[in-house]
Amino acid sequence: MLKVDLKYDWERFHAHYQVQIDQGITTLLGASGEGKSTLLHLLGGFLQGHGVLDYQSESLLALPAYQRPISTLFQSDNLFPQLTVWQNVAIGLSPHLRLNEEQCERVAWALEQTQLAAKADAYPQALSGGQAQRVAIARVLVRKKPILLLDEPFSALDPALREEMLFLVKQVTETFSLTTLLVSHLPSDALLVGGRVILIEQGQVVAHEASDVLASKQTPIAFTQYLGESKSSTS
Amino acid sequence: MFVYMGAFSLMALLRYSDVAEWSSFLSQPYLWRLVRFSLWQALLSSLLSLVIAVPVASCLFHRSFWGRSFLLQLFSVSMVVPSIVAILGIVVVYGRTGWLAQISGIEFPLYGVTGILLAHVFFNMPLAVRLLLQAYALIPTGQWRQAYQLGFDRWSAFRFIEWSYLRKALPGAFVLIFMLCFSSFAVVLSLGGGPKSSTLEVAIYQALRFDFDLNKASFLALLQVLICTVIALFVYKLAPVNHQDSSLLTQSRFPIRDSYGAKCLDVIAFLCVLVFVLPPFIAIFDPMFSTQFLHTLSSLRLWLAVLVSLKIAFPAAFISLLLGLSFCVLARYCMGRGKLNIWSTKLEQLGNLILMVPGLVIATGLFLWLRDLGLSFSSSYWIVVWVNAVMALPFVLRCMMPCFYQQERRFRHLYSSLGVQAWSRCKIEWPLVRSSVAQAFAFALLLSLGDMGVIALFGSQGMVSLPLYLFQLIGAYRLEEGACVAVVLILLCLGLYVLFSRVVGGRWHAQG
Repeated sequence: MLKVDLKYDWERFHAHYQVQIDQGITTLLGASGEGKSTLLHLLGGFLQGHGVLDYQSESLLALPAYQRPISTLFQSDNLFPQLTVWQNVAIGLSPHLRLNEEQCERVAWALEQTQLAAKADAYPQALSGGQAQRVAIARVLVRKKPILLLDEPFSALDPALREEMLFLVKQVTETFSLTTLLVSHLPSDALLVGGRVILIEQGQVVAHEASDVLASKQTPIAFTQYLGESKSSTS
Repeated sequence: MFVYMGAFSLMALLRYSDVAEWSSFLSQPYLWRLVRFSLWQALLSSLLSLVIAVPVASCLFHRSFWGRSFLLQLFSVSMVVPSIVAILGIVVVYGRTGWLAQISGIEFPLYGVTGILLAHVFFNMPLAVRLLLQAYALIPTGQWRQAYQLGFDRWSAFRFIEWSYLRKALPGAFVLIFMLCFSSFAVVLSLGGGPKSSTLEVAIYQALRFDFDLNKASFLALLQVLICTVIALFVYKLAPVNHQDSSLLTQSRFPIRDSYGAKCLDVIAFLCVLVFVLPPFIAIFDPMFSTQFLHTLSSLRLWLAVLVSLKIAFPAAFISLLLGLSFCVLARYCMGRGKLNIWSTKLEQLGNLILMVPGLVIATGLFLWLRDLGLSFSSSYWIVVWVNAVMALPFVLRCMMPCFYQQERRFRHLYSSLGVQAWSRCKIEWPLVRSSVAQAFAFALLLSLGDMGVIALFGSQGMVSLPLYLFQLIGAYRLEEGACVAVVLILLCLGLYVLFSRVVGGRWHAQG
């Protein structure tokens, strides 16, 4: 279980996140500028907040990003354009790209899982947007970190592809019992992956529910304002 | 227009040449020794500068330590420290009775190749570091974020991220430094120590000043231009294209994993800086506290020289800036307009071409040309101003081009859709380009202020600039007085540099 009680101040933005996140998928919803990505950056170790950040009763706060049990997938720049697909995955295991036989097998297995085995020697420029994000997911698989953070990584993809990727994330989360946090601005994403949903407004967690409340007739009061316009467009 | 000037001056030189005699020059062993030595020292100097600059740049990029921004500023200044002053500083530290000899008792063989290399590294290593830091600025933040997440150490970061960007910047930096070293004049003249280690540029000077052998000078000049062109073409052919699009935003930094080895390497890189760059600086300022200093200050000749220097530097810098601006605007206009597109890079290359043509040659050609037109020798003042302006142009372009290009690339459609043109566009852009324009002006000013080559050729009784005065003092073995004059010169340079880059440039961005 991930226990969060974090404060972060940046100019006139004062965030205070208090939430406990269980294993499985949780979708972070909220309008842009309300602090969804900030929370993810705080968890990932790319911003320094203060307060409490515990995973399995161990504090992560003092750890640098690379020692936290966390993999983060960003909207872009997840791959190094100067490395091949294989190298991009392998670098998650060894920053020096010196892999033993077992690690090589793991890379091959991850590429299989993401259907990229044929593209192992390609460079990221030669890949489509969906393939590029699959490479990033393959790297998540080899790193075996128990927490996965996704910062709108599929927002630039076509609806069909996007659905496919979300399904992959859901599958990976279930197979490897991950704690996955997905930032999205589409309530339909939350419905698709299931699990729980968190609503963030002005740097605070204002609601934490099971995701099917979004589809039910009586949405909790906290969600109604946020869903106001989006519900009419998605339904 | 200046292209015509350059062409005319070369042509004027050629008119005085006799092609038949050239073959006899070619068979002289002295000439080949000259060429070989010029190439050799330039190659060594530029390689050495780059080899030291790479770890130093990496260290400066990754670490923030006390004095880092001061060091960066020192680097930007050391590029434009008048060569004669820097030479004096190097002599004080490494010379026969210098600090090194006094402390360790080792007599450092300063005159000859080692001295030349030392001086060239002093000038060009900081330049290389700045060029490489520009390349670092092109690396997207996302890559550092990713490297941080994956726990890269410094070596992995260098291998997988930095190198692929540096690789694109290195050939350009190499050519620039190679050219500067190849046509280096004051350094070789004062530290070369005899005909054994002399370069083409010095030979041109000797042919002009002492023998007044125009034929030989024009031959040597052509040879120099030819060699530079060949090397530049060769390296640019090999080099990957470098897309300059430096971000104006300050990037957020992510702390890459540190290690013992990385710390050691950084310390070594830092020591290199301490050895090469700092001591001459300290040596230059040392005489400020001697009694001789006040004595020198009261001499009339010093202030006359200051006046002459300023009278040359300001118009020269102004002309250079105007030239540079028209280059930028022209190149920018050509950018992305169909067939004209190729001209934008051509124009930039043309600006850099000046580095290949020896300043002395331009000056002499111009002088001959003007003499043919019937203008008397009294106009040598304007020749000096003009040549100085042209010589500073590559540096001016280097300062302004990236900023102007970026403006064009990002806001062109916005400007054209809003119909913002000409003067009103200038007004909107001014706050953004201001700092780079000021930087360019400051560079041009300092380069003309420290110029030795042109003034050495044309300087007469009435026109002794500060560096020439200094050179004369050193020539007359009045080293202590010379050291004091050097302090005045460098204080003048620093003062003007700070004045222009801060006051005109608005807020000071201490950027890499």
